[in-house]
Amino acid sequence: MAFIKKSATEIDAVDHEHHREVKRDFAGLIAELDSDNPTSRRWAVRDLAHTHEACPELVARLSIESDASVRTAILSALAHLGGEIAISGVVNCLRSEDAALRNEAIEVLKEVPNEVESIIESLLNDADSDVRIFTVNILESLRHSNVEKWLISVIEKDPHINVCATALDLLSEVGSEQAIPAIKELKNRFAEEPYICFSADLTLKRIEEGVQ
Amino acid sequence: MSTATISEGDFLRFKEFFYRKTGMMFDHSKRYFVDKRLIERIEATDTDNFRTYFNMLRFEASGDELQLLVNCMTVNETYFFREEYQFQCLVNSLLDEITKHKTDDSPIRIWSVPSSSGEEPYSIAIYLLEYWSGIDKWDVEIMSSDIDTKIIEQAERGRYSARSVQHLPKKILSKYFYHHNETYQICDDLREAVKFSRVNIMDSSDVRHFRDIDVIFCRNLLIYFDDVSRRQAAEMFFDAMKPNGFVCLGHSESMSRISSLFRVRKFPDAIVYQKP
Amino acid sequence: MKHILVIDDAATVRMYHRNILETAGYRVDEAINGIEALEKALVKPYDLYIVDVNMPKLDGYGFLKEFRRQEDLSQTPAIMVTTEAGANDRALGYAAGANLYLTKPIKPHELLSYTRLLLGDLA
Repeated sequence: MAFIKKSATEIDAVDHEHHREVKRDFAGLIAELDSDNPTSRRWAVRDLAHTHEACPELVARLSIESDASVRTAILSALAHLGGEIAISGVVNCLRSEDAALRNEAIEVLKEVPNEVESIIESLLNDADSDVRIFTVNILESLRHSNVEKWLISVIEKDPHINVCATALDLLSEVGSEQAIPAIKELKNRFAEEPYICFSADLTLKRIEEGVQ
Repeated sequence: MSTATISEGDFLRFKEFFYRKTGMMFDHSKRYFVDKRLIERIEATDTDNFRTYFNMLRFEASGDELQLLVNCMTVNETYFFREEYQFQCLVNSLLDEITKHKTDDSPIRIWSVPSSSGEEPYSIAIYLLEYWSGIDKWDVEIMSSDIDTKIIEQAERGRYSARSVQHLPKKILSKYFYHHNETYQICDDLREAVKFSRVNIMDSSDVRHFRDIDVIFCRNLLIYFDDVSRRQAAEMFFDAMKPNGFVCLGHSESMSRISSLFRVRKFPDAIVYQKP
Repeated sequence: MKHILVIDDAATVRMYHRNILETAGYRVDEAINGIEALEKALVKPYDLYIVDVNMPKLDGYGFLKEFRRQEDLSQTPAIMVTTEAGANDRALGYAAGANLYLTKPIKPHELLSYTRLLLGDLA
């Protein structure tokens, strides 16, 4: 039989740490962020993922990084490191021309409710309607008690139909009786828009059925 | 306590949430099944009604309740040749693609996680011996890990009930198992073919020695993890794999709920995911 | 009966499109993002794809690029439906392989007439 069972562990420890050969100190890892090899860059990011001092360099790398697996690692590291530099580095990706980067930023921001809480309101008031839409997307999985309140304020105040539509979609899942007046008002405001009417009716029906 | 009820609107909200989280879709024919389990969980958690329960489910930081609910909604049993189409895919397509691109004669490495009581890694070994001619030419290393040391001991012993082996063809059963009393003992050759180890896949120091893997079987595990742990587990797999290596997930699992790092590949027997 | 895959992460958008298209006699399946859409399309190709842009895991551009690489899917029509109305977004959509780029919110008659056009169903 050609099955082998020698200890993978022992071989690997020697054999497969070659991309970790550089000095794993702070300076070595930071230098490694500019390596030509994406695997080396990814490992450097992963080894820096618990080092707050690395935030500025990680943010800088994010803006030029072309490899998706390295970008994913940077975004995840920054979101979980937290703090102003890291989070604003991730939030800036919401303004990117690159859809994949925007969507990955949304996903990691969903994972860190405590970091995001303090900036949700300013993002919901951003001048760019796309940023406001992405902020509503962040609310989708954000485990936070204010989610419904934020959504209601969006459909009450936001002038942009697609921002309201995104918030209404989420209310169809999480909305309670509190949201009923705002949903009815939204339907009046966009009475000519079939999608808003469809989505509002569906949401109202669900809420009312749940109350009975 | 009065029995909680699930309205049509509640069902739809739950259905969409559960679909988004897990990829499992319940249509109306499953309404009774779903309602019944939701009511069981509402009662078990003393949440009184659907609204309160659903809020808890969505906003609970640990994700424990969602995991419990996934458990109720799925059947997680393990037996030889379970989800056999993926083993067929392995021998009919994946291994040939891997060997075609190999530049040296190092072993092909397959990692089955979680090992559970061993049915999956042993099924892989049997499949290779029975249905893959390349086994004469290539060395294969089958590794299998679980977080639970007791179950690993059980896997290493290799003793199974009639139920575990019921899907095995007679010929294979008599070739690789000794039948005595109520149990089926797997033969020593197969026991020696799989290297078992205790690994917590969420612990980077546990997994850092797993490198250059060609194929990972990780079936019916990630579906029980929350979003963040799932993504982290997939990233760990990514780092453990060779470029162009493959990941096989369970039939009710999809990478669409887990990670964007892998490409979707279609083969005649199955959909699998490939590291670019 | 022609079969359409609606790809959008918003549940109410999927329902809205489904409603319009089923009423007009089409069969509709749904996917929540680009990866799920690829999984479905690779198993059983559809006659038309209606694709959102911003979605988790794999966005609409990424889906179309991967989709167009598949030999048997490269000719199937796809409509991008998105909140982004910029000229650059439109150009990206066409470059990724969309046959048509529509801006949300979309009216039922609009969706239907373009669907019929791309499927050659104009009587």
